[in-house]
Amino acid sequence: MYILGISCFYHDSAACILKDGKILAAAEEERFTRKKHDTSFPINSINYCLNEAGITGDQLDYVGFYEKPFLKFERLLHQHIEMFPRSFWTFYQALPSWINEKLRVPSLIKKKLKYKKGVMFIEHHMAHAASSYLVSPFKDAAILTVDGVGEWATTTLGHAKENDITILKQIEFPHSLGLLYSAVTAHLGFSVNNSEYKVMGLSPYGKPTYYEKFKKIIDLKEDGSYALDMSYFDFHYKMTMPSKKFIEEFGPIRKPDEPVTQHHKDLAATLQKITEEAIFKMLKYLHSITKSDNLCMAGGCALNSVANGKILSNTPFKSIYIQPAAGDHGASIGVAKYIYHTLLGNERNEIQETAYLGPEFTTEEIKKFLEDYKVKYSQFKDNKELVKKTAELIYKDNVIGWFQGRMEWGPRALGSRSILSNACHPKMQDILNLKVKHREKFRPFAPVVSEEDAKEYFECDNPVPIPTDFMLMVYSIKKEKQKLIPAVTHVDGSGRLQTIRKQHNPLYHGVIKEFEKFTKVPILINTSFNVRGEPIVCTPLDAYRCMMGTGIDYLVMDKFLIKREDNPQHMWDSEKYAKD
Amino acid sequence: MKNENLFVKGLKTGFRTFGFKVTNVINFVLLFLVYFIGVGITSLAAKIAKKKFLNLKPEGNTYWKEHNLGKQDLKDYYRQF
Repeated sequence: MYILGISCFYHDSAACILKDGKILAAAEEERFTRKKHDTSFPINSINYCLNEAGITGDQLDYVGFYEKPFLKFERLLHQHIEMFPRSFWTFYQALPSWINEKLRVPSLIKKKLKYKKGVMFIEHHMAHAASSYLVSPFKDAAILTVDGVGEWATTTLGHAKENDITILKQIEFPHSLGLLYSAVTAHLGFSVNNSEYKVMGLSPYGKPTYYEKFKKIIDLKEDGSYALDMSYFDFHYKMTMPSKKFIEEFGPIRKPDEPVTQHHKDLAATLQKITEEAIFKMLKYLHSITKSDNLCMAGGCALNSVANGKILSNTPFKSIYIQPAAGDHGASIGVAKYIYHTLLGNERNEIQETAYLGPEFTTEEIKKFLEDYKVKYSQFKDNKELVKKTAELIYKDNVIGWFQGRMEWGPRALGSRSILSNACHPKMQDILNLKVKHREKFRPFAPVVSEEDAKEYFECDNPVPIPTDFMLMVYSIKKEKQKLIPAVTHVDGSGRLQTIRKQHNPLYHGVIKEFEKFTKVPILINTSFNVRGEPIVCTPLDAYRCMMGTGIDYLVMDKFLIKREDNPQHMWDSEKYAKD
Repeated sequence: MKNENLFVKGLKTGFRTFGFKVTNVINFVLLFLVYFIGVGITSLAAKIAKKKFLNLKPEGNTYWKEHNLGKQDLKDYYRQF
């Protein structure tokens, strides 16, 4: 039985296919179209999923969509009726896309996929909840979903047992923790639905000096429920997010080219503090009503790895699961899994422990690419040589593009499409920024550590939770170890680590362990294989172009080693892509 | 021949731009009418009846709303609402 799950039209369009309930393939549309956070109908992702399954659209048994469009449209109409006449411009800008595509999902799917059966629609937050719980190791769990907004819900509390999920309570639009985070992101001059993680990275540089002022904006109850003072926001009737009153209280919106000042850092710190406070209160309440010690989280806010890393030590929960694509992309898995396990009643048959669900390329395909493009390369004798040589190059402070196996699912590079470098080098952050990433200086780089060594270097939960493998948990680096890995130690002594287990990616794990032989430190820098503003690379051509247009020294692609210096450079100007 | 091609290409581009502009104008007029007549009258009626379509200022000891959404009939999932 084949089930296709689709999420699209808002941000991070994606598709996923199940074969007899197991995830066969999943990918975000942006990787194919090279348009970051692509919102369009994910035809490329779908085609990839169908190819992977070896079927055509008409052979699909079920197709599921990650929300109920009419309910969402109803909410939009309510907004316009309530906010008349101030919402005219939003109405004018949004309505055509509703009429042309968002309200025509079944016909669009049938037309594009030649699929003849009915399309199933699952509530947005149910799809989020299912995306986490139904691939988790738990048979009983409490579920928290927090995002910008679905149909009406912005935050939900749920409880799941075996195959069934119940959404118990919810907070409705316009009161949204996700939209509060986005509004402050916009105020700090970063792009909404894209740069929220930058605000999270900025927060340790500041102090929560605006905490009391923020308490006026968000009324947070002891049970974690909250309401926003909507006079501080415009998002319920305008495209902009903070209102005049917000600007009067917290100063003008920072322009993207303006410097980040202490004021901005303090705002970010305050927002992060409030967010964590709200999440911990919600979770304590959720635990009290579900009596489950297992927690599943989903929704965009579940990507807040700083908050995630503190959950087990600040709430009564004993174990946690978050899937790698916790945002809207992941809801495509949620809807497909919900159909198979909950609606059709089939037994649960997998735990999602890795994120390697995307396209891969065979050695022959990569070799053909290298020959076609007349790329100068050498070939490793075997994996042992590959691992040893790569570790040595990293030890010698080279920046390595690492392209191996299936592309990752979700926003993080986790060892398939990664840039690897020396975490022990004190200047490596600057070198990486200069050579490749062009990032803001305040943003840290992430460490990857072999799972068995994580506890020696990090103050992490015991046992190390699965979401740590997906770079979704920030932990403090042990004081005595911080000086050993300066390039990945954030200003507050924390690190957004990825743990890697040998059985999940032996080559990647091997490079880390080989690097340890040179330095006695089993930790590398792992950052996404892209330049700022561009999606993570997908194909050999994307990877090669990224290397040639930046300062990446070597590309280790399958069994091949490509040195940038040996090949004609400036094929691709990375600078023009280095946007927000 | 080359000039002729350029002329045809320019003409096509011109017509396309003109088409977009006409579409925009029609869209604007239609949406203006829908908004100010459809949405506007409903909004006015709602205000007279004191009906709230968006809870901008919720009150109470908790802001959680009971939902209790679980598994429904299979046919319900084929609906977009």
